Amino acid sequence: MGMLVAENVSRRYGETVALDGVSFSISEGEVFGLVGPNGAGKTTLARALTGTTEYRGHVELWGTEPQSVGRERLGLLPQDFSPPDRLTAREIVVFYSGLYDGASDTEELLATVGLDQCADTYYENLSGGQKRRTCVASALVNDPDLLVLDEPTTGIDPAGRQALWRTLQELAAGGTTIFFTTHYMAEAHELADYVGMLADGQLVAVDPPEQLIRQYGGESLLYIEGISEDESGDTPRSGVLDTVLEGYEFSLGDDQLTVRDVPPDAIGGIAGALEDAGVTYDSLTWTEPDLEDVYLELTGQNRHSEGHSTEMEG
Amino acid sequence: MSRLGRIGAATRAGWHSFLRRRTAVFFTFFFPVIIVVIFGGLVETQSTDGGLFAEPSGWYIAGYLSAVVIFTPLSRVGSEVARHRDGGLFEKLATTPLRRWEWLLAQTLVNTVLIGLASLLLVLLLVVGTGANLPMTPELLLAVPLVGVGVALFCAVGAILGSLVESQDGVIAASNGIAIPLLFLSEAFVARDMLPDWLPLAASPITYFVRGVRGVTYEPTTSDGTVLTQWPEPTPYADLLGLCLFAVALFVLAAVALPRTD
Repeated sequence: MGMLVAENVSRRYGETVALDGVSFSISEGEVFGLVGPNGAGKTTLARALTGTTEYRGHVELWGTEPQSVGRERLGLLPQDFSPPDRLTAREIVVFYSGLYDGASDTEELLATVGLDQCADTYYENLSGGQKRRTCVASALVNDPDLLVLDEPTTGIDPAGRQALWRTLQELAAGGTTIFFTTHYMAEAHELADYVGMLADGQLVAVDPPEQLIRQYGGESLLYIEGISEDESGDTPRSGVLDTVLEGYEFSLGDDQLTVRDVPPDAIGGIAGALEDAGVTYDSLTWTEPDLEDVYLELTGQNRHSEGHSTEMEG
Repeated sequence: MSRLGRIGAATRAGWHSFLRRRTAVFFTFFFPVIIVVIFGGLVETQSTDGGLFAEPSGWYIAGYLSAVVIFTPLSRVGSEVARHRDGGLFEKLATTPLRRWEWLLAQTLVNTVLIGLASLLLVLLLVVGTGANLPMTPELLLAVPLVGVGVALFCAVGAILGSLVESQDGVIAASNGIAIPLLFLSEAFVARDMLPDWLPLAASPITYFVRGVRGVTYEPTTSDGTVLTQWPEPTPYADLLGLCLFAVALFVLAAVALPRTD
């Protein structure tokens, strides 16, 4: 039995179904990432877990309904959270700290989220990323047992995002249970022990990210662009490619050869074999499946090839 | 954190947040000034045989204070609630130890201090600018709790409006829609005998505010300074009690109405 249990959670707004029978659980100390596009129901689910929306179904935190949980155990970052504009980052953190016994040290917290240099700047004058980090800090003041973050890194630059990831990883290592929603598949992959994929209010899959990729991500692909035989510029004869790519499934399009299911350590061998056969090319691009492929596969959408890639010049 | 500690933290945040909005601060104090300039200076009150503004200037102190006590907290707290709701702050606060009534109390304290100061400015301007006389009696001190409770009462009404109306713009419009009839269909600026008999004055909290404040800030006199007996006789303590009952009831209603979920 998990410390967080959601069973058959549903929520409608008029005719719109925001959540449709969502069930999952999180154990103590786990990090759960919920991914999905705008309107998928991520925010509604985050609200249901913290008892800040009405819903049908059943949600339990530590065996009791969310509204009855000791508030010092929860930390929430709402998606559209906007503290008063004319308070400084420090004053916002001090205000939320002032609501708890034994709140974290304000200066340490500001340093943790990288705001120590702009702590006395009014919220309205902070950059988008600094604003979001201030909001994250407000969710951390009570060192919560369960942290619910609704799109914590939206609007944060890559460096700031990495810094925040490190903070969350440290919290998770310290035993904090974390539920977060995100648009960024890489974020879910990096942080989450379990990833839930939400589409049209339904949870279409929940598993560790690597398992999801293995199960639904499809094969890796090697794209060879501008391919030609010798200096003639002609398309290579299929017999040549049959020999060089023996054992691989491949297809040849306009100047592009696509080879399927190529492990990364075989790329060098294929490149060498092509050169030995007198086949030239402009570039090699290798892609491995990621959570985006998984999501697109599970939701029946067209597959893109924008996963993690390794590119080499030919 | 203790309840007092939480309310203190919310009050400090509300205080800093409001004081740094210079336009809002300016108009909070400009409002009483403009009331005195228009009604005390330009229109002027004259004791004649009837009509509006026919009473001595001291009689209108309660009316001017009513305007400040109604309009400012209604629009300020109403728009603050709307702003908090739009900014996801109530959603956040629902997961903290701060209760909704504690948040409302903090907002009420901030507004009571600021509007109390604005009321004091108003009275000083009336005394200096229009020659209104204040009776120097111990009962005059009752004006302080009357103003404080009046502000708290209309903070609660503002919070209810802010909870029911969907946008900040809508809150301002709704505030005006409530404040104007409340003010002018009362004894604030119109003598009781000029109001229609069917008007349920006892059902309006502003009645208790006006009667209470007028009872302690106005003393009718003849031209030679002889103090006349008022009719009906002022009952400021009973009016303060009535105002308190309204304030408590509306405060509870507002705390329940404040948004907690989406």
